[in-house]
Amino acid sequence: MRFAPSAKFAAVAVAAGLALTACAGGSGSSGGSPDGAGKKLSVLTGVNNHYPEEQKEWFKDIAAKFKAQTGADIEFETFASANDELTRIQTSVVSGQGPDVYSLGTTFTPTAYATKAFVTLSDEDWKKVGGKERFNPAALGISGPDSEHMAGIPFVSRPFVMAYNKDLLAAAGIQKPATTWDELAVQARKLTNASKGTYGLATGYKDNYDPWKFIWAMSVQAGNPLVDGDKLKMDDPAVKKAYETYFGWLTKDKVVDPAAIGWSNSNAVAAFASGKAGYLMMTTSSSVPTLEKSAVAGKYAYATMPTVAPGESASKGDGAKAASILSGDNLVVADYSQQKDLAFAYVKLITSKDEQLNYQKIFGELPANAEALAALTNPVLQPIAEAAGKSKATPFTGAWGDIQLGLVNVTVQSIPDLAKGSVDGAALDSRLKEAQSKGQASLDRASKS
Amino acid sequence: MQQEVTRLLPGPLLAIILAVLCAVVLIPIFYIFLASVNTDIGVAGGEFWPSSFSLENYTKIWSSVGLAKGLANSVLVAGATAVVSAAMSVSTAYVLVRYQFLGRLTILRGLLALQSVPGTLMVLPVFVLFSSAASYLGVQVIGTQWGLFITYLTFAMPFSTWVMVTYLRGLPRELEEAARIDGASNLGVLTRIILPLSWPGIVVSGIFAFLLGWNDVLFASVMTRPDSQTAAVALQIFGASQEGGAIPMYGQMMAASLVCAAPVVILYLIFQRYLVGGLTAGGVK
Amino acid sequence: MSTDSFRDTRAATIPAPDRQLTRSGSAADDGGVPANAGTAAARGAAPSGKPSKPRKSGRRRNISERNRPLWMLIPGGMLMLVIIVVPLVLGTYMSALNLDQYTLRKWISAPFIGVENFVEALTSSPLLHSVWLSVSYSLIATVVTVPLGIAAAVATQNPFKGRALVRSVFLIPYVLPSFVVATIWRTMFQPDGVVDSALGTVGIDSGLWLNGPQTYWTLILVQIWASWPFIYLLALSGLQSVDHEVHEASALDGALWWNKLRYVIFPYLKGPLSLAFLIGMLHHINNFTLPFVLFGVPAPADVEVLPILTYVTSFQSFRFGLSAAMAFVSLVLIAIPLFIYLRAVRLDDAETPGGKK
Repeated sequence: MRFAPSAKFAAVAVAAGLALTACAGGSGSSGGSPDGAGKKLSVLTGVNNHYPEEQKEWFKDIAAKFKAQTGADIEFETFASANDELTRIQTSVVSGQGPDVYSLGTTFTPTAYATKAFVTLSDEDWKKVGGKERFNPAALGISGPDSEHMAGIPFVSRPFVMAYNKDLLAAAGIQKPATTWDELAVQARKLTNASKGTYGLATGYKDNYDPWKFIWAMSVQAGNPLVDGDKLKMDDPAVKKAYETYFGWLTKDKVVDPAAIGWSNSNAVAAFASGKAGYLMMTTSSSVPTLEKSAVAGKYAYATMPTVAPGESASKGDGAKAASILSGDNLVVADYSQQKDLAFAYVKLITSKDEQLNYQKIFGELPANAEALAALTNPVLQPIAEAAGKSKATPFTGAWGDIQLGLVNVTVQSIPDLAKGSVDGAALDSRLKEAQSKGQASLDRASKS
Repeated sequence: MQQEVTRLLPGPLLAIILAVLCAVVLIPIFYIFLASVNTDIGVAGGEFWPSSFSLENYTKIWSSVGLAKGLANSVLVAGATAVVSAAMSVSTAYVLVRYQFLGRLTILRGLLALQSVPGTLMVLPVFVLFSSAASYLGVQVIGTQWGLFITYLTFAMPFSTWVMVTYLRGLPRELEEAARIDGASNLGVLTRIILPLSWPGIVVSGIFAFLLGWNDVLFASVMTRPDSQTAAVALQIFGASQEGGAIPMYGQMMAASLVCAAPVVILYLIFQRYLVGGLTAGGVK
Repeated sequence: MSTDSFRDTRAATIPAPDRQLTRSGSAADDGGVPANAGTAAARGAAPSGKPSKPRKSGRRRNISERNRPLWMLIPGGMLMLVIIVVPLVLGTYMSALNLDQYTLRKWISAPFIGVENFVEALTSSPLLHSVWLSVSYSLIATVVTVPLGIAAAVATQNPFKGRALVRSVFLIPYVLPSFVVATIWRTMFQPDGVVDSALGTVGIDSGLWLNGPQTYWTLILVQIWASWPFIYLLALSGLQSVDHEVHEASALDGALWWNKLRYVIFPYLKGPLSLAFLIGMLHHINNFTLPFVLFGVPAPADVEVLPILTYVTSFQSFRFGLSAAMAFVSLVLIAIPLFIYLRAVRLDDAETPGGKK
């Protein structure tokens, strides 16, 4: 019971406390391997559902190597979902305590950066992690608002690609996978045979993440990067066209299983794995283990997704480089950390060429280390590596999370219409308008701070 | 004859009602058992009766969901909450029932009102409070079982106390008075007279506190770390992590759900008689 | 003659809950006159029944006053203060701050913006829509559970072989933790899942359960499944307070089963059921776990009930100030049934004098 009155006192003093923890983090020496004997570094990373056992092994392996180098222990913690990930960032930000190093999905880097609770790396800091030049330059695209202010240190790349069923494509007389969205729709119609339950495309309209990536890609390829300075351009015709194309697969082209309205990405993977779809859209190398064990094992290949916007004959602006969002994991070091040098030493260790290649071998993720990436020769990974080069970062703003949520929400709210068979243009307009005004409000808050 | 007098419903109607309600409850439960021994593809495809049976899911969940540690933490935290909250609620309720003082009714009313405070409102401020304990007092609360314990204890207290209040009201005063005449102190009366008499109430208030701790997801999800995760969080995280993968591991999810529910269901069934009485006396969930 | 006795029973029963409402009002004030007879009938306990015990005289109360172990309230009181009251105040304070991802880190120095969050919540956020959803869903779910609960209680009132087992079965949905209930229904409601295939065999194309407008009914359906046993429990307690004489009287009466239920038995249930109704409402409005686990976030607009909206606003959009304002609004909303509840419930019993400190 002694605890209670003291905690009450603490509540009164919270303000000063947070300020103190915030200041305390700045110190630290440089050079060589820091001496971490008796210390414990806390690392937060996403759980790997495909290789849980291997991940545990990898944790042990890295911890041992780190101990040999610095004398310090590592405690790994995992988060299970994007939601979990956000909560963990928030709680650490509020409390000024928590893990020293975070491994974050790239799209969360702007949000994390906006909180100012993570270290923006100085030149000195970059040296401690092995130098900025050790990383694939493309992978640095979403590390910070500009090249002078970067908080995210690239760890792995996970570009989005599509998988196709070689047998089905051959049977439909298709020579090579589509490179424009229009061509994709044409091919998909050829591949679809609803009476046999075979469809051209497999994608999940209920997925929490996929829909916005399609809209973003098609929109960028049409020359609208969505965020232009302080202005959100979600009410642009290109965005509407993107939604119409995306919804049209289901309503007009009828090249998607009608049940896909309720699918998440995993259901789409399952459909493709059972051989009932020509293309699996918006997937990553993480689908390999599932597909290898499935009915389509040996019959599928990956390809980069189209880069020419619907209704266009060539991509505009940066479009050709927007085959995928720039995706993967970034490492960020907490500003409140009392052992930043150890944290940097850890980052240096796991982004080294050898460790990156090792990680690729175990988990199939593309290295962010430039030398390691160049050392990859496996032909199966070629399209994926190519997509890594054709990835474009989403706009670096703290408001991006909201904008992304708005993009997904347009799909979520359109699902009843999709189920009925057509999405009314006026209804879509009003949803876009709402998303635009909310997103713009969020951008305004971002630019004010 | 006795039976006839109190009969409320004609036989056939009674049978129909019972059959329908039992089916409504049991079919989903039965399905979960089936799904837990089915393959993931079978569940995803809408099979009611599995095409192949396997108990594999029940062995896998211990490592994939991290259920063993989760259950151990849940038992520890919820158990401690139950014991302490029962003890505290007896003494609190005793004072509230047997003594008059200013503000007594306000407290009684507060006991009821506090049960309705939404958790979503509390979770962030409580978290801030706890994390500042580390910066100031050097007491690490977040990530330990202590933080959860204190939180659950607090949220369990209003209901536990209310249950005890209603229970103690029903106890005759004569024994207490006799003990007082014999010179027993307040504490003596409480420990020697009240405690032995009020076991049923104590069990009820303890079990409800246990359930509160066992069932919570909101607080546990922000206040625990992998080492201190409760079973509810372990299951929730496992479920959430299935979203991104291929076919969700439905079988394991169902198996883990059943394992998480089992202790609670067993507890209920054992103490059913007390609980139903205590609940209706307390009149609150 | 028989009609008379019948009417008598009714007369004895019906006023009871009303009396209870008015009387508890006076008992609720510290220092008020002890409510002797009326409150005994609270929650519809045997209206015709137990005479309240005669109040004991002065001696005991003198002991009480001389030596009251009020310190026993301190531990619980401290907990309440630190873990509930202080955070509640903090939360209220946060609702007046412009608290988002840019200011979260030094939250206490976040710009103070007064009622702006409230204005935004009420004018340009889905809050009012959520309030409507929460209230209507809670109301529908509660209204549907009442007849179910009564039917179950009435059906298990008379002994029959296996009654204990049936009673245990009825408790199962109530006993299962919310997160388990939501997990299993979510699995069953998957597209092409077992519910769809079962309905498919009888030729019903049910559409989507976890998306679109139907989600609203999915939520209500699962909520009903999970909470009708609570009504059942309280109805059961009401039935048990029916005296045997009442049964005998109406048997002599030769009343049909329906009339007996309607005029003799149901009045006994009025008290416990109004209580159950209020508590059910409170519980449903506050329910976070069920919609959260059933639908995930972002939830379809049709099930964006208050707790979900509050959660998404803070933990997804980082608008903590706005979210605190929303939470405050939901607190006000909850205060309405809570207030009725507090007026209705028996705070004190007849035996313990309510006043005269």
